[in-house]
Amino acid sequence: MMAFWYDLPVAVQDGLVGLMLLTPAIVLGAVVLRGFETRPLLFALVRQQVWLSIVFVALIAVSVGIGVGLIAQERGLRQGTARAADKFDLIVAAPGSEITAMLAAVYLQASDMPLIDGETYHDIESHPRAELVAPIAFGDSWKDAPVVGTTPQFVVHLAESLTEGRMFASEEEAIAGARVPLSVGDEFSPAHGVGGAAEEDAHRGANYTITGKMPLTGTPWDRAILVPVEAVWGVHGLAVGHGPEWDGVVGPPFEPRYFPGTPAVLVRADSLGSTYGLQATFNNDETMAFFPGTILARLHALMGDVRQLMSVLAVITQVLVTASVLAGLMMLTKLLSRRLALLRALGAPGRFVFALTWSYAVFLIVIGAASGLTLGVLASWAISQAITARTDILVQATLDWPEIHIVAGFISLTSILALLPALLTMKRSVIAGLRG
Amino acid sequence: MAGLPLRIEGLTVSGEGGRTLLEVPELSIEPGTAVVVRGPSGAGKSTFLYAVSGILPVTAGRILWGDQVLSEMNDPARAAFRRNQVGFVFQDHLLFEELSAFGNASIAALYAPKNRRAGIRSTGTEQLEKLGLSADEHRISGTYSGGERQRIAVARALAADPAIVLADEPTASLDRENADRLADDLMQLARDNGRTLIAVTHDPAMHAQADRVIDIVDGRIQDSAA
Repeated sequence: MMAFWYDLPVAVQDGLVGLMLLTPAIVLGAVVLRGFETRPLLFALVRQQVWLSIVFVALIAVSVGIGVGLIAQERGLRQGTARAADKFDLIVAAPGSEITAMLAAVYLQASDMPLIDGETYHDIESHPRAELVAPIAFGDSWKDAPVVGTTPQFVVHLAESLTEGRMFASEEEAIAGARVPLSVGDEFSPAHGVGGAAEEDAHRGANYTITGKMPLTGTPWDRAILVPVEAVWGVHGLAVGHGPEWDGVVGPPFEPRYFPGTPAVLVRADSLGSTYGLQATFNNDETMAFFPGTILARLHALMGDVRQLMSVLAVITQVLVTASVLAGLMMLTKLLSRRLALLRALGAPGRFVFALTWSYAVFLIVIGAASGLTLGVLASWAISQAITARTDILVQATLDWPEIHIVAGFISLTSILALLPALLTMKRSVIAGLRG
Repeated sequence: MAGLPLRIEGLTVSGEGGRTLLEVPELSIEPGTAVVVRGPSGAGKSTFLYAVSGILPVTAGRILWGDQVLSEMNDPARAAFRRNQVGFVFQDHLLFEELSAFGNASIAALYAPKNRRAGIRSTGTEQLEKLGLSADEHRISGTYSGGERQRIAVARALAADPAIVLADEPTASLDRENADRLADDLMQLARDNGRTLIAVTHDPAMHAQADRVIDIVDGRIQDSAA
């Protein structure tokens, strides 16, 4: 049986789980409503109390929306950060905090880091299993855009192809990320440092010309300007990685003697196994080598705990709101008591009046839950846009099965709870109801 | 459906705290009779109507409609009796204002067994036609005048072709012209099929048309005049 289950496509499994969660409500509906036509009176009751009905629907929608939004948002953020780290197989940096190094090298949240020297860099670069080795030298900026020194090979690895222009070929040339407000041919002068602490005039006289634009990657690198690492060293008055006979062609190989250092190095090996081998080799007293994906997974695990806590809080919120709504529904059925008493006076079976009251409550719950699903996705989308705008990490919060499962469970649970006001309706005196 | 005879024996209906609301030592009403019940406010007229319809359970005594002992039935059985045998007209029409005239007239179809639904709907339309409301039967009830709404309530009472029609102050909320028309319609339609009609009313127009007038004072039947 379990084998059959695991053989099913994931979407089918998710669909079946959703259906199972919804089954109590469906079965209850089929049993309660069997043999009656409650729809015309249901809509009459809704129209009679239209504003109160809207308030109840809105309350449920907000409560469900919060739950759905939180889950969709957390997943979108997780996927966005993972996507942003996709191109960074292995990072080598000087020993320190892996998280700081990852934030700096992958997400361009610059911070002061010790440098890797030329000899170490040479060891990494000359490793037979290393397919791509590139320095990531950050610390300068232009306006809000980090200026990162690297190699043409890294640009190709990151962007695959440029949307316009050509690769930088000299120390005065640069490639702009898709969201950098510079076009091919524009010139700029870098500042030393980033953010509020940036020194605008520190590199006076150093100018770059944009020769190409990268495509949109949905990562912080969309807001970055990539320049030859030789240029970064040059504007800081350091050696440029090549000896006196250098012909001016930017990029590797670099000479250890003239290599001033880099805070981080991206390494790509020829196979997954080799990546692990490289990580083991360069995780030593001199350097630390780590997989950004692993660090991210640890952070996500932490976020997962937070998500579970948030999910519990969301469910508690929903239950509390549902309890309030049910209390409200009890009051509302009291407002409708004259109509319900009339039906009983006319001889309608008690089960019909019960079914009508229950379907009224469940109608509001289902409409509220469906609106909440939409509201949650819309709110999540808006928050994702804001996060993307602030971090440049493309966060896409979309509707997925976990949210549908939560809503299905919510509908089933509340449709069981909705039996309560329906039962209480039957306890009221017909005569008292008729007299209003 | 032809009317049913009513027989009451030693009936007592008590309210909260055991206070006696109604006492009827003995009463018989022939099938197909149009009876008017009158008396001062609070005398027990509506209690009488609710008791003979089975809405109000009795404290002691027996109520028999034909050979059916209403007073010994439980709640669901009394509801079924009303559903199948009784048509009710209330003082202020008590319609579902958001439903159409047809929707209100045929409301019993919503909870009737499937094989009776079409019949109820067709009778509902027929009654609306007889009451002059068929031209616009799909209009929302809330948009009709008071007199028209009460006529819709009459159509609803008759749609399931009941043997008994009970009316609680059916003309009280109407002006004279509408009250006269409704009294005529109600008497006529009740008598059409030989139904038993019991109407609680202060309306002299209905008193004049009744086969029999029953007076209730202080919860007791005082006089029963043909």
